[in-house]
Amino acid sequence: MSGMDSALKPRLKRRSTFEYVSWVVCILVGVGVLSSVATNPNFKWDVVAKYFTHESILRGLMLTIFLTVASMALGTLLGLGLAIMRASTIKPIAALAGVYITIFRGTPVLVQLIFWFNISALYPNLSIGIPFTDIGTAIDTNALMGPITAALIGLTLNEAAYMAEIIRGGFSAVGKGQLEAADSLGMSGAMKMRKVIIPQAMPSIIPATGNQVIGMFKETSLVSVLGVAELLQSAQLIYARTYETIPLLIVASLWYLVMTLLLSYPQSKLEQKYSHTSARVPRKARKVTLTAPEGIAR
Amino acid sequence: MNADGTIFARKIRKSFGPKTVLKDVDLEIASGEICCIIGPSGSGKSTLLRCINGLETVDSGILKVNGDDFGYYETDTAYHALPPKKLAQQRTRVGMVFQQFNLFPNMTARDNVMAGPVLVKRADKRQSAKQAQELLTSVGLGAFGDRYPAELSGGQQQRVAIARSLAMDPEIILFDEPTSALDPEKVGEVLGVMKELAKKGMTMVVVTHEMGFAREVADSLIFMDEGNVVERGDAREVLTNPKEPRTQAFLEQVL
Ligand SMILES: Nc1ncnc2c1ncn2[C@@H]1O[C@H](COP(=O)(O)OP(=O)(O)OP(=O)(O)O)[C@@H](O)[C@H]1O
Ligand SMILES: [Mg+2]
Repeated sequence: MSGMDSALKPRLKRRSTFEYVSWVVCILVGVGVLSSVATNPNFKWDVVAKYFTHESILRGLMLTIFLTVASMALGTLLGLGLAIMRASTIKPIAALAGVYITIFRGTPVLVQLIFWFNISALYPNLSIGIPFTDIGTAIDTNALMGPITAALIGLTLNEAAYMAEIIRGGFSAVGKGQLEAADSLGMSGAMKMRKVIIPQAMPSIIPATGNQVIGMFKETSLVSVLGVAELLQSAQLIYARTYETIPLLIVASLWYLVMTLLLSYPQSKLEQKYSHTSARVPRKARKVTLTAPEGIAR
Repeated sequence: MNADGTIFARKIRKSFGPKTVLKDVDLEIASGEICCIIGPSGSGKSTLLRCINGLETVDSGILKVNGDDFGYYETDTAYHALPPKKLAQQRTRVGMVFQQFNLFPNMTARDNVMAGPVLVKRADKRQSAKQAQELLTSVGLGAFGDRYPAELSGGQQQRVAIARSLAMDPEIILFDEPTSALDPEKVGEVLGVMKELAKKGMTMVVVTHEMGFAREVADSLIFMDEGNVVERGDAREVLTNPKEPRTQAFLEQVL
């Protein structure tokens, strides 16, 4: 043996043949794709660059962001309401929320969006007033249900159903013992919800909601079918004129990619933060959570 | 007559589906009495305790806590369930300490103790914080108010849980196997706190396997088996001279 002190020798990681092979394959595929993308003139990268910060693309991006934020905010609020209803001990209220969730999760968002856009076929006039009196006013539904309104309503109502399930999942992760402790102190249902259930459900709700935001950001592209000039539709409007279809789809895709990457950073932070908080749940309580995942109905 | 701190039950029955867990249980606990309930697993001890603070409802029978029908009001023909507000109010007068502590993990020890007064009784925050500090000190945790439950040992958590119950100033406090989830060396500190408490004249009902505690602290002892109160009497008398064969068999096993 050499003169090196065995106690100081580095310990090397084992690399399998499979690891070396996968590196080679990965590099070959990467080089192939990149060279094709770079050399194929049909990608028209100059057009991509030209439109990337084009005014109407940026306006579309703004609308996409607005739709995401607005429908997520409203959808989460409505979803919270639905989750609370779902957990109610009063049967008809729980059933109502159940039916809502089933319908909105069981049909495609695209269909729902088109449905809301065409709601005037069902109710040509919306009237607000006191039934069986002359007091009140009627509005033309078509005038009210513009494409953006329809998009917002469609996305919100759909998101609410998914958020309701996420929030309900969070509720049911709260141990039965927690609810009993709150009950034995004489807490009211609303207080128990605010101070015990919701704070403890947050660690599982928040990261899931972050995922929903990222999903919603891409989902908004569906409302292009209603003629809402969000990001995708803005790109479509341009290539309808210029026939530069692929470059403009790349522009839109790049923006979607940039935004989801930007969102995934805070998302991973949130996940970290809340997995840390859940470590605060004592060992014993967590055991209860694992063995008795019961609803909050009490 | 002032019935604060008393528990009275006659022929209470409770079933879960086809299984009858409490079979015509009678109970009479005086104000300030320390009563221990012992019995084999599944005999209905927890269920009885949970009925006394409304975590379970009894199917039939009379149940009076602090002199009032608990959770119900009586008419000529039936017992009608009280509205949630009234029930909550009755519950504030009965504290409960759980085997698994059930502290709120999202609140510090101090906030746990303050939760009842501030959130339920709408007490002044500063005064409640002061009271919480006194209570934490009285259970030997004066320096631990800012800790979260996860940062406390089991014994410490259970002492915070006791302080949390006391903060509501209840006439009655119920303990369901308060030391069963603890490491053996932590049992003493919780029993110590309970012994101190026993001197203060509060009614205490304690489901326990700690015969030493029962012998030393309890006034009365109830032995339950299969949903029945098999034997009840003076704690030391029952422990040393059990009359019923089932009690004798059980005590032989555990002692
Ligand atoms: N919520 C419930 N649903 C159905 N059965 C139940 C429920 N709670 C208790 N039981 C049953 O009632 C019986 C008595 O339970 P209980 O918890 O009162 O017994 P215990 O005397 O406290 O036992 P242990 O010493 O194991 O805690 C058991 O057979 C149990 O399975
Ligand atoms: Mg029990």
